[in-house]
Amino acid sequence: MKTTTLAALGLATTIATTATAEDIKIGLLLPYSGVYAALGNEIDAGFALGLEQFGGETDATFEIIREDTEVKPPVALGKAKKLILQDEVDVMTGIVSSGVLGAVRDMVHGAGVPLIVSNAGNDEATGADCSPFITRMSFSNGQVNRPMGIWMYEQGIRKVYTLAPDYAAGRQMIEAFEATFTAAGGEIVGQDFTPFQKTQDFGPYLTQAKSSGADAVYVFYAGGEAISFVKQYDSFGLKAELPLYGSGFLTSSLYVNAQGPAAEGVIAASHYVPTIENDANAVFVDGFTAKIGRAPSEFAVQGYDAARALIEATKAGATDRASLAAALRQVTFDGPRGTLSIDPATNNIVQPIYVYETVAGADGLTQKVLAQLPSEADPANGCVMDPVSN
Amino acid sequence: MTTDLGFWTLQALNALQLSMLLFLLSVGLTVIFGLMHFVNLAHGALYALGAYFAASVAAVWGYWAAFLLAPVAVAGVGVLLYSGFIQRMRKSGPMAQVLVTFGLIFVLLDMTRIIWGDLPLAIEVPAMLGGRLAFLGVEYPTYRLFIIVLGLVVLAGLAFVLGRTQIGAMIRAGVDNDEMAACLGINVERLFFCVFCVGCALAGLAGAVAAPLLSVSPDMGLQILIPTLIVIVIGGLGSLKGAVAGSLIYGFVQTFGAVLAPQLSSVLIYALLAAVLVIKPVGLFPAKG
Amino acid sequence: MFHHTPLRYAALVLLASGALFQAFTAQYFGLEILTEILILAMLVLALDMVAGFGGMVSLCHGALMGVGAYGYAVLSTTAGLTPPVAMAAAVGITAGISWVIGAICSRSHGIYFIMATLAFGQMAYSYVFEAPIFGGDDGLGGIERLDLSAVGIDLNDTRTFALFCLVALAAIYGLAVMVLRSGLGRSFSGVMHNEQRMRALGLTVWRVKADVFGLSGMIAGFAGVLAAQHIMYISPGLMAWTVSGEALVVVILGGLGTLVGPLVGAAVFVVLKHELSSLTTYWHLIVGVILIGVVMSRANGIFGFIEDYFAARSKAAVATPKATEVTKDA
Repeated sequence: MKTTTLAALGLATTIATTATAEDIKIGLLLPYSGVYAALGNEIDAGFALGLEQFGGETDATFEIIREDTEVKPPVALGKAKKLILQDEVDVMTGIVSSGVLGAVRDMVHGAGVPLIVSNAGNDEATGADCSPFITRMSFSNGQVNRPMGIWMYEQGIRKVYTLAPDYAAGRQMIEAFEATFTAAGGEIVGQDFTPFQKTQDFGPYLTQAKSSGADAVYVFYAGGEAISFVKQYDSFGLKAELPLYGSGFLTSSLYVNAQGPAAEGVIAASHYVPTIENDANAVFVDGFTAKIGRAPSEFAVQGYDAARALIEATKAGATDRASLAAALRQVTFDGPRGTLSIDPATNNIVQPIYVYETVAGADGLTQKVLAQLPSEADPANGCVMDPVSN
Repeated sequence: MTTDLGFWTLQALNALQLSMLLFLLSVGLTVIFGLMHFVNLAHGALYALGAYFAASVAAVWGYWAAFLLAPVAVAGVGVLLYSGFIQRMRKSGPMAQVLVTFGLIFVLLDMTRIIWGDLPLAIEVPAMLGGRLAFLGVEYPTYRLFIIVLGLVVLAGLAFVLGRTQIGAMIRAGVDNDEMAACLGINVERLFFCVFCVGCALAGLAGAVAAPLLSVSPDMGLQILIPTLIVIVIGGLGSLKGAVAGSLIYGFVQTFGAVLAPQLSSVLIYALLAAVLVIKPVGLFPAKG
Repeated sequence: MFHHTPLRYAALVLLASGALFQAFTAQYFGLEILTEILILAMLVLALDMVAGFGGMVSLCHGALMGVGAYGYAVLSTTAGLTPPVAMAAAVGITAGISWVIGAICSRSHGIYFIMATLAFGQMAYSYVFEAPIFGGDDGLGGIERLDLSAVGIDLNDTRTFALFCLVALAAIYGLAVMVLRSGLGRSFSGVMHNEQRMRALGLTVWRVKADVFGLSGMIAGFAGVLAAQHIMYISPGLMAWTVSGEALVVVILGGLGTLVGPLVGAAVFVVLKHELSSLTTYWHLIVGVILIGVVMSRANGIFGFIEDYFAARSKAAVATPKATEVTKDA
């Protein structure tokens, strides 16, 4: 139904691209204003650095058209339509919020424009709503949290209280953790979903967590909410008796210094921290620090790897929408996060997950990697896609 | 859990802490309205400015300097706003005022983004107020107790000034009937100006005390605005008593709603507001009948 | 009471021909902008009806538009109604809700009215933001447009949909004029100018206010239905109070209480927004400055300014409602 609607909209006829073989037009769809502006800028910086560092490896030249989604799905859909129909881009990348990804999904799929997702983690995008044109170079909500359930059980934690904002991503993150943790034999003794973007004072919830009899608390919060949460958790004195664990965004290197000493000792699972030790990461961290003046975050690496994936695809000979989409599905390389590949069954990234502790370093807080959990492809979750053709 | 007395004590303290923060914000807004019939939607933006000033000052001179300087700086912004816009908008209808201050929200929000960037900032709780205090059988963060005490002190101070001093009497006269007050030789315009600056300073103070508790982000002003408006409309515009009552009602409904009826918590407060407006269209304790 | 002055007729003709020209010549993105303008124009017409002619300065019209949009989306997808039925039902629901809000708020004036409508709008927003049936923060997709293929019209074509919205806007404009000229509309304006006198004349004031507010909400709901069909995706951001604030901005920018002015305002606002946001991510700053400038200039918006200019030039006492002072002090 969806494809026929789009075909009727007159989109199907505009698929043919006018660009020359070597010139790739990229539509960068990111929030440059609104609550996620900081993430949009971080991804943009990573993407630009990626093109700069690896651009020499390919003959293709790149032209970037930036559009601001304002974190509003309808606005983002309008901008995506503009990029596809008017600017006739060959490939799109970006997208921070899952809502925006959900909104542009049908449009991108119907028009056959490859989209490299550089943040939004909703499981459906590489599950029931997957598309051969959408590849994800960031993470899926389940992917980051699933290994943590098993790992925490192995550390001897049996009873956990969970907290997350009440929206799709928050619920998916917690559900993924809960599934593996309870399967391993652990117990969720209590759970709260706090009103999304409206909760500034976590006191009432922390009081409940404290009296729940849990061994540990597992949470997902990001951005401003993460800062407030970590600081308030510490101020209630919960950190000592009730260790805080979470999805990596909780103490992201992007804002951990705003959390200050309150973040010390928090253990989280992430697909990237700037302290991962490998050559590719050293190059990335040096390049980013030289340009921006601080270490990169997981958001920056997502943009950086999106650029890298695009360059790898053009190196494989892709020049237009269709060939880029096919080539992106087969991309694999060793990046700052370790060995990355795209799972052809879902188009989601396959990557290792790092468990890290935030510790005090020489200048500010830093991340100590406790464990590297092996890469694991997400289950298909209802994704049915044609295999890669060519 | 809900039968545990300590749990109720803690949640009551949480509610009280939220109430006091809202009180600091709403009292300025409501007295400005009572005196000037002026609705300043940019009041939330002033609170955000206070938090940002505090973050900048605290980074250099520490928290207490921020605590003292942020309200002064915001009052300074208030002086600019007053002479630039508000004085000229005094005789316009409420819609024009709402719109000018609505425009100010956008301007101030983007200015904070330009000056301080999009990344959230934060400041540390001062060492003196860092730990927790044990009392009434519970342990509670000292800094939150400090907010409660600060709110009560400001409340007592305002009650004294408004109720017992000559300036207070002049303000009350102005709220009651500004033309009559002017006839009696009170310089109502100057009074307005002072009250507006004090209101701005209180918003700045609220921002400065909220900053160590929350994160300092560009949209914090927009987030706090609606709760503040709810407080003053429930309480009744223009009265100190209304601001206190509204803050307490909001704080307790919000806190206990979040814990006891999480599904309803966000709609609950709006439903309450609608109910108040149906029964008493001018709020519970309006300054004038 | 609403009059069509020659100037207003001229402006309408100019606007209509501009829209038609755009609809037949514009490329894809130009048509998208045109449609956005047309839908915003419906919303601000609805708002001007109550704010400009009855002093009911509503800060919940964005939310009412959202009720229409979400109503249509849920009824046509989850509930499985056919688009025409879902449209009618969504518009009807919005009208009903608006009537109730209008009735409840009819006793409040000035700033209290603004705050009360703000509260109702935020209530709806919070509910939609959190209820799973409405897709929460992520919103709802898969919304279909009205199927007029039986009469040979394909609304899935961007150009056709823009023309459809133009026709709808013309009809709504006609409806708004009709309502304002009817007995109801005259009583409504009377209530704004002197509520006590109207009450003394035996008028049930709250009924008049509620009725017009309900009609206005109906139009807002219809705009919402079209917005949902236009983007084919909706999210709660549509209902945030800032949308209502922006609608009010557009009314003021164009000229309160002129009906024609808000149409001008809608066109200016959407074009300005698109132009500025392609220049800078701080475009809100510039819009804010312009808004402050317009309100403080004391002219009744762009169209009001033009009207005043012509009135001054011809020195003819054209009976235009001067609407700088709409609401009495609270």
